[in-house]
Amino acid sequence: MIFEPSVFDVKSLSYIINNQEILKPLSLIVRKGEYCAIIGPNGGGKTTLMRLLLGLEKPTSGEIKLFGKAIKDFREWSKIGYVPQRAVQIDTNFPATAYEVVQMGLTASRSDKEQEKIQLAMKKMDVTHLKDKLIGELSGGQRQRVMIARALASSPEVLILDEPNTGVDIKSQHRFYELLRKLNLHEKMTILFITHDVGVIADDIGRLFTVNQSLLTCNNPKEAMSCEAMSKLYGIEAHAIHNHHHHH
Amino acid sequence: MFEIFQYQFMANAILAGVVIAILASVSGSFMVLRRYSLMTETLAHSALVGVALGIISGLSPLWMAVGVALISAWSIEYLRSFYNLYSDAVLAIFLSASLALAVIIVSLAGAFNSSLFSYLFGSILSVTTDDVLLIVGFGSVAMTLLGYYHRELYFIAFDEEVAQVSGIPVKGLNFMMVSIVAVIIALSIQIVGTLLIGALMVMPTVAALRFRQGFGKTVLLAVLFALLSVFAGMILSFYLSLPSGATIVLCILSIFMISLAVNRR
Repeated sequence: MIFEPSVFDVKSLSYIINNQEILKPLSLIVRKGEYCAIIGPNGGGKTTLMRLLLGLEKPTSGEIKLFGKAIKDFREWSKIGYVPQRAVQIDTNFPATAYEVVQMGLTASRSDKEQEKIQLAMKKMDVTHLKDKLIGELSGGQRQRVMIARALASSPEVLILDEPNTGVDIKSQHRFYELLRKLNLHEKMTILFITHDVGVIADDIGRLFTVNQSLLTCNNPKEAMSCEAMSKLYGIEAHAIHNHHHHH
Repeated sequence: MFEIFQYQFMANAILAGVVIAILASVSGSFMVLRRYSLMTETLAHSALVGVALGIISGLSPLWMAVGVALISAWSIEYLRSFYNLYSDAVLAIFLSASLALAVIIVSLAGAFNSSLFSYLFGSILSVTTDDVLLIVGFGSVAMTLLGYYHRELYFIAFDEEVAQVSGIPVKGLNFMMVSIVAVIIALSIQIVGTLLIGALMVMPTVAALRFRQGFGKTVLLAVLFALLSVFAGMILSFYLSLPSGATIVLCILSIFMISLAVNRR
């Protein structure tokens, strides 16, 4: 079996702050084209793990490689698109049109054909008609799509999303999952998704990482979502609820 | 009406005022959007320490103000990024400590005089041709840097963390930004005064924000408001013999109040 090259290669990564062990040493590999989700309880360290992967925090020990390069030598940040949790809760008074927000995504690369890239990203996310609207005037779902368009503008190879559906209505959520599936299937985009609501995308994702201070399982999603695994993760008794509305 | 332009000092003051209005409002817009408005006030007080040192040592108060404001800006940014202290608390500490230091220096030297008064509240009479050259020279450098990096600074103001992940050197640009602001403030104190320059940096942007436009239009509006108030303020201060800084600030305050009234929500 031939493996795709790794996007994230993490070895014995741990994180301790104020004498508190947030992450026990963990190792994981995410390969090109994978669609993975990270789930776990609040305070379990999933956001910390993502921040470490993005270089926003320095690990206590262990090493992180991005696209095969040690994170401190990694420079090709335009390969990574990041959609933060705050997407929906931004400052509504900020003077930014949807177009200006998407344009931010190309600031670091200063690429030519900028307008075309912005238009393409906006079209993909179906926000072209909102381009002159202020970001504060958009609905939660529209704002989320603008934020993803910004992440897509630099044509990244991997998309990292942190609880992107906080404050977004159900209809927009489904539209959003559909889009992620397309990006993964048709454009071979690697996707790392942090969420507490894995039920809806269980059929889409290839692997599920469950994080509660340490990495508990990284098997296929169906197995990881068994009641036993869920109970272990959240420390409470869990019951399976099936999503009947989501068929392929 | 146009007689005021016949005086050399007025021509100097108006040229310097135009440059400062543009610089203060453009750099101020980034500071306001980053919730860093108090930084302008703090650096102005630090610049006063430089002025005090200049007055008692006989060196150029303007150059001393630039130096002290820069050191102060770097110390604040250093404490903020590496010690994880609350930004507003650091600013409050520097603000009162600077003022205390300036007052002590001046009173030890027995130099509470009209020259100090003009640095506190601005005096267009004190602007020499050399000062104008200095303001225009520094102003061009500052404007070039702001122009070149405006998109990075805008992204950082919107979301510092995402900007960092996208590969923008956030810490370096933050240092650059506060350095530019420090220099602009130090250069502005002759026209507007240390105690009032904060208003010229903050109010035009806050007034422009009321019109709910995108970033480009908001900054243009802010520059327009700043220019209007500097012109009106200088002309009024000339004819009514009022301190220029205070008159300019009251003009921008009027514009702010009009923009509040026009854009009720």
